[in-house]
Amino acid sequence: MSEKARKVLDVDCLNAMLSRQKPARVIHWEMYPVCFAAIQAGKTIYDAYADPKFSYESQKRIARETGWLFQPIFPSIGGGWGGEYKLLKDDYAQAPIPVRYPVEDEAEVWKLEAPEVASLPSVKGSMDFCKLAVQEKIENETFNVTFNVSGPFTTSAELCGMNRLGRWMLRNPELVHRLLRLTTDHIIEGAALWWDTFKGADILFTLSEPMSANQVISPKQFEEFAFPYIKEIHEKVLAMGYKHIFCHICGDHNGNLPYWAQMPMGDPGIISIGHQIELETAARFFPNDIIYGNIDPIIIQIGTPKQVYEATRQIVEKGKAISNGFVFAPGCELPPKASLENIKTMMRAVEDFGWYE
Amino acid sequence: MTKADSNILEELANSVIEMDEKKAVRLCEEAMAKGVDPYLAISQGLAQGMKTMGEGYEKGTCFVPELLLASDAMYAGMNVLRPHLKVAKDSANYRVVIGVVEGDTHDIGKNLVKIMLEAAGFQMTDLGSDVPLSRFVETAVAEKADMICLSSLMSTTMLRMADFITMLSEEGVRERFKVMVGGACVSPSFARQIGADGYAPDALAAVRKARTLLEAKGTGAL
Repeated sequence: MSEKARKVLDVDCLNAMLSRQKPARVIHWEMYPVCFAAIQAGKTIYDAYADPKFSYESQKRIARETGWLFQPIFPSIGGGWGGEYKLLKDDYAQAPIPVRYPVEDEAEVWKLEAPEVASLPSVKGSMDFCKLAVQEKIENETFNVTFNVSGPFTTSAELCGMNRLGRWMLRNPELVHRLLRLTTDHIIEGAALWWDTFKGADILFTLSEPMSANQVISPKQFEEFAFPYIKEIHEKVLAMGYKHIFCHICGDHNGNLPYWAQMPMGDPGIISIGHQIELETAARFFPNDIIYGNIDPIIIQIGTPKQVYEATRQIVEKGKAISNGFVFAPGCELPPKASLENIKTMMRAVEDFGWYE
Repeated sequence: MTKADSNILEELANSVIEMDEKKAVRLCEEAMAKGVDPYLAISQGLAQGMKTMGEGYEKGTCFVPELLLASDAMYAGMNVLRPHLKVAKDSANYRVVIGVVEGDTHDIGKNLVKIMLEAAGFQMTDLGSDVPLSRFVETAVAEKADMICLSSLMSTTMLRMADFITMLSEEGVRERFKVMVGGACVSPSFARQIGADGYAPDALAAVRKARTLLEAKGTGAL
């Protein structure tokens, strides 16, 4: 980062936008660098999830090395519903593999009970991570506590597999609504636990909904099966006291945007979009929120530095026109195996083209 | 073809579009009882219906839930017709091995590609998900496959596809198979970079690409 940029930190620019003021420049805010940070620190993705302390330290380390905006982040709640999962530990492993889903037939939907959030084994690790994060704030750091979850539709799909959920949506919608009710209540319970534990901290609520994209379901199906539940979560979370929602609208949600636009996002919200949604389109649907995105992560992973630089330039120049605030970021999780050279090239391009006149 | 046969084929297609398994089964039984060529019942009946659904997915009028139920109707009908099929060895359809690479279980896209390729007349061996690379090779060799299709959603597991191409070369069998790759993170440039033969962004495009690749390969028939 240049001396000029260092004098105007990303966090200061972000705080300006969160106060609805114009920042000095476009900032770069990395999207979920948990796995990337672990690999850069010489370990595996498995290590990142198994060792919250290592995950925190590796994220802090890479933030200091690159100079990027540091937002400590870790998955908040997961598992506890049953089923059987395999965890791979090799270089390619990125997510648990379901060997048996928690729900594999209709009867199991009705028998399913949501686990108590506070007693989930995963929550101990997540809480340890957040407790580390609240002990310090480094220069150029934002939101040192994040409650980070998948949305109710995606979580329901993870409980039974989309192959079943998709069929039940048309054949037995009441099964899907039961799963959605359970997952919605579970997410709200988790958000409440995080709020009660960390409400004095700079806390952000983050929700991602990849499985409800239009590559999977129709806008009408989104309206019935995703919209009311996500809206309920957003309303209840904001009523608890969370000020901003970071909403990762993952994938092609163009047909769903009219519904997303009806959901409260905070004051302002941060709308994270993938490369499938045009920045101008997002700005039109969310005129009161900060738009975050949207370089295709695969360009970061396999593009040449020249391609990365050019792709970044194009996005930054479009994003600068968004009047309510724009943050440059990948359109989805930073690829764990992206090269540091490409990251630094991206950051350089944001700095070269991101100053507001 | 008689008008009655033509009507049955149209109704078979409709049973898939209507996602009606019972209707598909009943019509297939009726077709066999009336002496309709089972191959036509599949290719111009059930498969036509699935093709229409696939086109709907491309246009954004039909989505994964509909495709899944339509495929259920198609497969229910095909189960009735299969015992009646006579497949001559020298006119065997192209054989394809498909799966999601090891470490990844996101299989919706792979399932849709498999459904559409099967509807288009390809003989499919579906290895499922989280498939070790060696299993793709072993199965393709054993099945005398013409093409191997690999799918991956995640940016890390996608990199196994490059390892797979290397593995085929090391085993001395690279030239025996066309390799097509796909998945949310995969792109045409990635496919070229790793030396794959083709890439497809969705299920219907996969059918078109598969036909192009295999007609160029020049073995088998559709």
